[in-house]
Amino acid sequence: MVAMTTIGQLVFSGLLIGSIYALMSMGLTLIFGVLRVVNFAHGEFLMFAMYGAWAFVTYTGFNAYVACLAVVPAMLLYGALIHWIIIRPGLNKPHLVVVFATMGLSILMQNLALLVFSADLFDVPPLNAGRSITIGPFYAKLELLIGFGVTLLATAVIHVVLKSTYLGKAIRATVQDGEAAQLMGIPVPRIFLITFSAGSALVGLSACVMIPLFSVFPSVGLNFVLIAFVVVVLGGMGSLEGALLGGICIGVVQSLSGYYVAPAYGQMFFFILFLLVMVFRPAGLMGRRGEATLGMLD
Amino acid sequence: MTVLLEVKNLTRIFGSLRAVNGVNFTIREGELVGLIGPNGAGKSTLYNLIAGAIRPTAGAIVLNGMEVTGWKPYRAAKAGVARTFQIPKPYRNLNVIDNVVVSALMHHRSVAEARAAAEGILVDFGLSDYLESPIGVLTVGLLKRLEVARAVALQPRLVLFDEIMAGLTPSEVRSMTSLVASLPGRGITVIWVEHVLYAIMNTVRRIMVMHRGQLIADDAPEKIAKDPTVIKAYFGEEMPVA
Amino acid sequence: MTACIALVAIGPSQHMLDVILLSFMWAGLALAWNIAGGYAGLISLGHAAFFGIGAYTSSILTAKAGVTPWIGMWVGAVAAAVIGAILTLICARLRGPFFILSTLAAAEVVRIGALNWTSVTGGAEGLMILPTPSAMNMVFGSKTTYAMLMLIYMVVTYVVTKAIEGSRYGYYLFAIRDDEEAASAAGVNPLLARTGAMCTSAFLTAIGGSLFAQYFLFLDPTNVISPELSFQFALIPALGGLGTAIGPVLGAFVITPLSELLRSYFGGGAAGLHLAIYGAVLIIVMLYFPSGISGALMRHLTWKGDSAR
Repeated sequence: MVAMTTIGQLVFSGLLIGSIYALMSMGLTLIFGVLRVVNFAHGEFLMFAMYGAWAFVTYTGFNAYVACLAVVPAMLLYGALIHWIIIRPGLNKPHLVVVFATMGLSILMQNLALLVFSADLFDVPPLNAGRSITIGPFYAKLELLIGFGVTLLATAVIHVVLKSTYLGKAIRATVQDGEAAQLMGIPVPRIFLITFSAGSALVGLSACVMIPLFSVFPSVGLNFVLIAFVVVVLGGMGSLEGALLGGICIGVVQSLSGYYVAPAYGQMFFFILFLLVMVFRPAGLMGRRGEATLGMLD
Repeated sequence: MTVLLEVKNLTRIFGSLRAVNGVNFTIREGELVGLIGPNGAGKSTLYNLIAGAIRPTAGAIVLNGMEVTGWKPYRAAKAGVARTFQIPKPYRNLNVIDNVVVSALMHHRSVAEARAAAEGILVDFGLSDYLESPIGVLTVGLLKRLEVARAVALQPRLVLFDEIMAGLTPSEVRSMTSLVASLPGRGITVIWVEHVLYAIMNTVRRIMVMHRGQLIADDAPEKIAKDPTVIKAYFGEEMPVA
Repeated sequence: MTACIALVAIGPSQHMLDVILLSFMWAGLALAWNIAGGYAGLISLGHAAFFGIGAYTSSILTAKAGVTPWIGMWVGAVAAAVIGAILTLICARLRGPFFILSTLAAAEVVRIGALNWTSVTGGAEGLMILPTPSAMNMVFGSKTTYAMLMLIYMVVTYVVTKAIEGSRYGYYLFAIRDDEEAASAAGVNPLLARTGAMCTSAFLTAIGGSLFAQYFLFLDPTNVISPELSFQFALIPALGGLGTAIGPVLGAFVITPLSELLRSYFGGGAAGLHLAIYGAVLIIVMLYFPSGISGALMRHLTWKGDSAR
């Protein structure tokens, strides 16, 4: 029964960390679903937001969750700015323009961070003095549990917005068929702006949840963006529920493979998982069939 | 005349939609056949099936006695089936002549030969002024002509035209019509989907009509114009024909 | 470029020679990437994997089997081509960002593999090549010789690129890049064309990797198979002008010296400034000059206004 508890614990931890991965990836998947662009600077957005959260905590003394109040709106505005100057001009051009432009943005942001903050790792003090809380037979750090809670809450809120509000319906319409949406009177360019900004705000939220768990340094974005890509692809680009499911899968896979196989190879596992998904079900768990293969950028 | 294309009981189902439902027809070499029908009739799906862009759910396609059912587009092209696209799909980063060269390369080993052949075709099609032009400068009418030129450059046995008249001025329609009419003389059999009815009614000698995935008529244009089933399909009710 | 060759002949400072040598190398690597990315439209952000496979294969063969890199590099190149073919087959149905991300993932698999296969690759500690000069082992005492080597590499990749560009195969690549559906309808087999382009690109990139290994004499996965390096492979042709033969060369000759200059100018006090500028430039170029430096130049120099292939 010891083995069972170990697996159980691993799955539980994987679930929690996976939910945080999901939260981090939701912005990316929404942006992709609506705008059909992949923001290669997504990891750097997270990095900026994490620095912001760190700065807030360090200079005001409040904890990272309070930092949301500052970081989320800041990221919303930043997202709007970037959308305006970089994404929007690139939308009607061949998709590689946005790919390379966002790559350029990623390099710019990384190095600005390097200039301002240096390459040192920054942390915030952990809650509960770093000890774990027991939940039933399992234990977990408080930050992880809070992260899980935030993710569920965020998913629920977004879900409700998408289902019930006009904005949500407009977004869903744009995801399904941008041209038709425009013909129906939906202000698609504004929807693009709102989605990109909201996606960035989500990144801000996840940064606040993540800073108590991970250190921030200029190139931290790269690790996370790769995870985010895998989550988004696994779950299906554009699908919120997919991101949640995908994130949890990745979390669990990482947790289990880190324990049973060498931790170093753990990372390799989810890239292999990614490639397997690409081969067998490129649309992901919840994505629409054929999405990866249609000329979706036409 | 020998039989070039046989379509036997061709069916394609998407979910619950029978886009093409048990279609049967035969095309002979040298024919110039029109294919008309209301929107949603299944004409594009039929083309996609014949050209290999999608696989049939059931049925067979026989080209020149060869079973080509389910062949991929490039194989179908090599077997002699060329097609145009309803919305022209030129190679945007190549200039006009290079667009045709890609097709001409199928039957010409060297680039130089292909270029010469491409130039010849473009001159025939009245595009000699645009040989080195980028795609961006072409109007809709010229783009459609380029589509046709690319198809012809493949030296196909059978060409499938998809609404090549849409968006053309009356004089452009006239010149395109005479171009198309000249093709059987070049050894190219033509199936022609068209909405601009006056263009084909007077040019072709046989028209097939599709409606809701099925072939509802296959006859000479004069008979089609008076066929009550056809009229019903287009207008939904009986209408006196002048 | 001709100026650089002339400079090499004249015999400049060691530092300048370094820059020139690296420019030649990057030009070759950019040209290699461009065959897949610019000509065939297969944008790969994982090319460092091929680079690493080339570098490691020839070096391991030298270290463990005493095989001279002159032969070893071809083995590495073939290995890379095979991996490239497998990758293309796996990603046969993927387009756009899905394809790009898959190349990233695949490269990461290779990197982590190399990092952990310590018995063969030396893992994170890296692999060192004996620095004793020996023409047979492709280790030279003089930088000028290395520069010559890289120059030859660049010239060869340029010649291959131009050959493809004017050939039947080149036309087919452009066709599937610009409109795969139309190209298929014109008789082009997309999978075959894509695989050929990726294999050629991988092959040439791997050769570059082997040459680099012989120059740098030290390899480790984090630096040789990194995503950052992969991005560089794509960015240089993008800046210089995708889809042309001269574009990647221009890109290399602008970026390499420029980043050296910026690094030495700002380096110590403001680490990262040069890269920040690089990033900003990239954004501006991609948004406003998508055909890169070569495209912008061509528009100024040509009066006919033909499109650049």
